[in-house]
Amino acid sequence: MKSFKILVIALFCVITSCTIDKTDYEAETGSEVPEYYEFKEAVSFTSGTYKISIEALNGTFFKGYNELHLKITNTQTNQDVSSSEVTFLPILSSTDGGKTSCPHDFTLQYDAATKYFAGYVVFTSESASANTWKLYVSFTADNQKYDISKDISVEKQSNQNLNMTAFTGKDDQQYIIALVSPQKPTVSENKLVAGIYKYNTPTAPAGTFPDPSQYSYSEVSGYTLKLDPRMPEPSMGNHSSPNNQDLTQQNDGLYHGVVNYTMTGNWTLNLIMMNQNGLIIKGTVVPTDFTPGVEGVKSELYIDTLF
Amino acid sequence: MRYLKMLFFLGMSVTAQNTHVHHDTIKNLEEVQVKNAAKKKIETEMKMAVSVDEFLSSSDNISFIKRGAYAWEPLLNNMSTERSTVTIDGMHIFGACTDKMDPVTSYVESNNLSTIDIKSGQEGSLHGATVAGSIDLKRKSTPFGLEKKWNGAYQSGFEFNNKQFFNLGNVAYSAEKFVAEGSISYRKADDYYDGNNEEVKHSQYKKFNTSLGFAYKTTDLSALRVDAIFDMAKDVGYPALPMDLSLSRALITSASYKQLFEEGVVKVVDTKVYFNAIEHYMDDTTRPENLVHMDMPGWSTTYGLVSKANLKKNRYSSEIQLNAYDNLSIAEMRMYPQDRSKRTMFAYSWPWVTTRYGGLSMNNSWDISEKSQINLGGSLGVNYNYSKYVEFNWIFHPGAPQEKTRFLPSLHAGYNLDIDHFNFSIGTGYGHRAPSVSEGYGYYIYNSFDRYDYIGNPDLKNEISYEGNASAGFKNEKLSIQAKINYFYIENYIIGRVLSMGSPMNYQSVGVKGYTSLDYATLLNMSMNVSYDILPHLHWKGVLTYARGMDDQGGNLPFIRPLSYQTSLHFLHKNFGIQTSVNGDFEQINYSPEYGEDLTSAYKIWNISADYNFKINKVRTIFQVGAENLLNEYYSTYADWGNIPRMGRNIFTSLKFNF
Repeated sequence: MKSFKILVIALFCVITSCTIDKTDYEAETGSEVPEYYEFKEAVSFTSGTYKISIEALNGTFFKGYNELHLKITNTQTNQDVSSSEVTFLPILSSTDGGKTSCPHDFTLQYDAATKYFAGYVVFTSESASANTWKLYVSFTADNQKYDISKDISVEKQSNQNLNMTAFTGKDDQQYIIALVSPQKPTVSENKLVAGIYKYNTPTAPAGTFPDPSQYSYSEVSGYTLKLDPRMPEPSMGNHSSPNNQDLTQQNDGLYHGVVNYTMTGNWTLNLIMMNQNGLIIKGTVVPTDFTPGVEGVKSELYIDTLF
Repeated sequence: MRYLKMLFFLGMSVTAQNTHVHHDTIKNLEEVQVKNAAKKKIETEMKMAVSVDEFLSSSDNISFIKRGAYAWEPLLNNMSTERSTVTIDGMHIFGACTDKMDPVTSYVESNNLSTIDIKSGQEGSLHGATVAGSIDLKRKSTPFGLEKKWNGAYQSGFEFNNKQFFNLGNVAYSAEKFVAEGSISYRKADDYYDGNNEEVKHSQYKKFNTSLGFAYKTTDLSALRVDAIFDMAKDVGYPALPMDLSLSRALITSASYKQLFEEGVVKVVDTKVYFNAIEHYMDDTTRPENLVHMDMPGWSTTYGLVSKANLKKNRYSSEIQLNAYDNLSIAEMRMYPQDRSKRTMFAYSWPWVTTRYGGLSMNNSWDISEKSQINLGGSLGVNYNYSKYVEFNWIFHPGAPQEKTRFLPSLHAGYNLDIDHFNFSIGTGYGHRAPSVSEGYGYYIYNSFDRYDYIGNPDLKNEISYEGNASAGFKNEKLSIQAKINYFYIENYIIGRVLSMGSPMNYQSVGVKGYTSLDYATLLNMSMNVSYDILPHLHWKGVLTYARGMDDQGGNLPFIRPLSYQTSLHFLHKNFGIQTSVNGDFEQINYSPEYGEDLTSAYKIWNISADYNFKINKVRTIFQVGAENLLNEYYSTYADWGNIPRMGRNIFTSLKFNF
């Protein structure tokens, strides 16, 4: 019996040693994709006795969609200010003097449950020497209006699953589509969330800078994003997946759909954007043929992902 | 280094065992004989040095899907391996390759087997739920206390067509209380040449196999036995597939305890625990023409218990068997983009699928009279599946359950009658089987035969088989005739059907098929065996088989053997024997284009061999020389994957010493 035990141990040593290790699946999908859950302070301002702190995921502003948490604290009483009108305006200045903005929540709403002003911003480019971002924030406290501003840095989007695209539609409007979630897709059915925004062309001449009416964006409502995900890699021959669902707008203003990723790697979300009346604003139907060795044709409107 | 360690441990266990040997003489453990139709020796009439595959193919109801020269997939009653249970001494083992490149039979070698026990239909349910039947590979097992303490055999040979050189050796030591046996073998073959003398590229292989067994008699009526088989194949080509095998390894181990009873109804109880692990690494670096480089490793690990009791009282005898196992099957695929700096693409083709089975089976036979006998049996099994990464399965089957439990009942009954020179039998059966791992949970498994990617469906229903069989035979001193027929009506027959959704993942494929259940399918198998002794030393034998398989629309099922025949003459004079045979298939008229089949023409093969028996210093020696496909016919059979041509003329020689 003892010898049998030894035999078993010996055999166990042989078996447990594989020549090729099994893939650590959890690490496999995590290797390419940073995933952030924690909101940290990305920037703070001080004006008089008030401190404004803006939190973003991982404490960084990235190109693309950023959810924001804004807090105003009275540094003397150490109390949070909740009853205030808070406005938020990001401005991109280029060296040639041009000033533009990007989709954002101009008026931030206070959320009593979480005790911060909630908003978002979709940065359309990274900070560079020729392009600098500045935030203009205003709030009212003790019947006094405070206007403050500060330069910020917008980092490159390291997570391709939060990519965005900006384009002009057939209706000559400027649109921006930004992926909101999932941050970290898996080989499975993934709930896909995106925001669609539109630049509101000003109707009145510009007032004193920064005049919010010149930099107004709004969430597009009632549109549909038709989805056709494919792997662009030539060897994958225009591979696609089944059971995807087009993105439609839900109560949160964002567009929700389902994307199935059949394996890890590079994917292209081919999109067709249609307005309330079903008219195509942007995007083309892509070939569905299986074409091994040929890189997949992309729609006029697409966003690449990678996980 | 690991192997050295293992050898060291094994060595220790040998010496440890030896110290226990006592020298009291008590009667030997007698084997309880159980009725079966096992083949006696692992050799065919034509050839004494055969591979396990070649040996199996000599059976009437076995045919093969061949993807090359190695690791043929045995079809029992024209049904693929999902529908049969293939076991080694009752141990369940599952291949680790999604493309079925490694059937269980590829992990044993002819010199560690004694017989192969084939049972058709529900009669095979003793080893677990089945539809087609069971193939049980019986290991060699030397009895205690043989007169001669040492036994051995060594066999070597060369086959000219594919330059196959093989060496097989086995040795056994037997004492009153202790038995040790071992075998070792190595085969190496190059590419083979077809009937047009053209090389069939990627058909080489190398196979190493070794086994060890120790038995110790604990009391007069009980014994403990441990067994291990280690098998390793390297550089195996599969000409019909887009990839080859770089390495496969199997370790098959078991420990059993057998108790005999002199009195009472229960005669013997044999309980075995076992463990086996298989790893299988496919390799396509040998195929530079492939567009995508891909790694496809697979692992299959099984733990199990099999316990069997034999009962006998007067005219009643019974076998009761408990089967339980736990298997984990994992298969990965990783595709490399053409720009290697880009991210690789990864998916599971078996997303860590666990299968657990527990079942109790029973076979009873009752001799009503001297001439007639009734057999009744059945089994009840519980089959449980769990898919760890079920999100893969959800892509095609949203919301499919991660776990699934199925009950698998089975029943069979038969009646045998012997009247003078005639014998008749009639039987019926009913049984369920659970879908296999691939059928239930497979994900983009590329089938190079019909060129589709296959997707499993976790919600498939149990396949239910209703079966009838009959046989009639006549036998006298010179002539023997046996005719057999069986018919299967299989409800929820599982087969791949083109899916309208999804697109192929493997670049060679043309579409996606999902495993679905047909309402039913039917299968008919017939065979006729005749043997006649023309002269005392001249024997003739003929076999004719026919099968027909149809789906619920009246369409043909794939891989059904057309009308086929074999006829052989065997002449023996003193120490000299000569045999010749002709075998072939008729044209495969009932082929299935839907499953990638095309018309396969008729072929016939002529084989001849001669052997000579002699003794060198008391060592019995046999020398054999022969030729298969003597006329060098160019052919491929209905079940040759991708119509790859079979081997052309092959001259073989072998020499065997029995010590």
